[in-house]
Amino acid sequence: MFPVKRRFARCCAIFGAIFGALFLAAPAAAQSIVVDLSTREVAISTGFTGAELLLFGATEGSGDIVVTVEGPRRDEIIRRKERVAGIWVNGASVTFEKAPAYYRTAASKPLDEIAAPAILEKLQIGSDRIDLFTRTAGDAASVLTFRDAFIRTKKRQALYSEDISDLKIIRGRLFRSTIPFPVNVPIGTYQVTVHLFKNGQLVSSEKTPLTVQKVGLEAQIYDFAHDHAAWYGAIAIAIALMAGWFAGVIFRRA
Amino acid sequence: MQIYLPIAEMSLNALMLLGLGGMVGFLSGMFGVGGGFLMTPLLIFIGVPPAVAVGTEANQVVAASVSGALAHWRRGNVDFRMGIVLMIGGFIGSTLGVSLFTFLRGIGQIDFVIAVSYVLFLGIVGALMVVESVRAWFRSRNPSAPRRKLHYHTWLHGLPFKMRFRRSKLYISALLPLGIGVFVGILAAIMGVGGGFVMVPAMIYLLGMPTSVVVGTSLFQIVFVTANVTFLQSVNNQTVDIVLAMLLVVGSVFGAQIGARVGSRLRGEEVRIALGLIVLAVCARVAWTLVVTPDNLYSLGIGGTH
Repeated sequence: MFPVKRRFARCCAIFGAIFGALFLAAPAAAQSIVVDLSTREVAISTGFTGAELLLFGATEGSGDIVVTVEGPRRDEIIRRKERVAGIWVNGASVTFEKAPAYYRTAASKPLDEIAAPAILEKLQIGSDRIDLFTRTAGDAASVLTFRDAFIRTKKRQALYSEDISDLKIIRGRLFRSTIPFPVNVPIGTYQVTVHLFKNGQLVSSEKTPLTVQKVGLEAQIYDFAHDHAAWYGAIAIAIALMAGWFAGVIFRRA
Repeated sequence: MQIYLPIAEMSLNALMLLGLGGMVGFLSGMFGVGGGFLMTPLLIFIGVPPAVAVGTEANQVVAASVSGALAHWRRGNVDFRMGIVLMIGGFIGSTLGVSLFTFLRGIGQIDFVIAVSYVLFLGIVGALMVVESVRAWFRSRNPSAPRRKLHYHTWLHGLPFKMRFRRSKLYISALLPLGIGVFVGILAAIMGVGGGFVMVPAMIYLLGMPTSVVVGTSLFQIVFVTANVTFLQSVNNQTVDIVLAMLLVVGSVFGAQIGARVGSRLRGEEVRIALGLIVLAVCARVAWTLVVTPDNLYSLGIGGTH
């Protein structure tokens, strides 16, 4: 059994340590960035035709800003069509494991003026530098061809994008950028990362999560179709039978 | 008015979909066909993923054929015995078809197989229709030409398990309608159609059924087979989009009524020639997508394991 005083002393010591750590850490975070999004949830509902988010924030001291947005990672397969007897058929394919479904880079100026390629590579900034792994057998050159085609196809679908002129810095401190989401945006958790560079070196990074989800009736239908597939099928049949029967009744009277 | 389709995961104009349903409904009412063979390719042309187009269309055909089936039932134009044998075959075929569909989807060949099936069957059926109705049209102008025999006896009539189909005035092997049912069931699952365009000629020319019961019996079995396809596609592939199906149903029931009224004023042979030409046009359009060099050779899909 410890005396009350000693217990109090121990609490003080623990709090002191925590506060100390916070204050000691403060100088490093002095170069910090404050970021926020116009919304942290992109809702896909009946009228959804795509969305645009506003990202804004401030830095302490001037520098270059790079924003990356990474969508949920999943295995994606890319197939190449080949001509067989005059007809185009899907032929060779490569599966990229845990590839980001969505990826965007926005920067205040061209990336190569912000930092050295090695640094960008390490941070995976720019869609050409994303790590894509595959276990599909094949020589390096052909995997590379598929990798390029993968990024190109994603860009055509507006799921991968790069916009260098988009990020505006106001008076060297405030910045803002838009994040566009096309109508085919995959659902899941997204990670928004804001990097602050000074003289070619990374000074600070700030991460913010973001969710893209279906809401309302659309979400209920989608979830129901996946979680209760048999019931969904039965209900689809029942609705169709009723609609057909009902139409017959109406027009027989008319 | 854009509407987001939860299963197709895309946004389309609701009025356009109603209009599309109305247009196909008009043609199907006029020609007395289900319309699935027109609707599925059209959905694919406007960008709906082929797998979703096929699954959803099966659901729409349930609605489109049930009112027709009920109307024929009331008039006594359904041979239930024949319908049930066809339906059992259809259940077997559509179950096999959906498994095949799931397998082909897994290996990335479903879009290709859907397109090839369309080219093949629309090409054959369209050509036969046009040839047959042009002949009939000439015969009607020249009545002295020799008539064809009503039906031929072939090895098909020597098969075992003979059954009596009183309503159709037939005594034939049950294996024959069962086999037709299986075959049409597979087509229904892969092409997203009712299969009437194959079923009706098969009933007339292979089984030798009287024309009065052909359409009613075919509709009767189509309701059950497309219901089975809807169920299995929902369970195996989650490719049935209720929102899309309902928009198409609403459009098509109205279109079908107007079409039926217009169709009744036209001559049989001319209607069949027109239908044959439409079938051939759809066939040519699908064939074109297979032959023309795609603007992007690469396509993306979500990998097998998540």
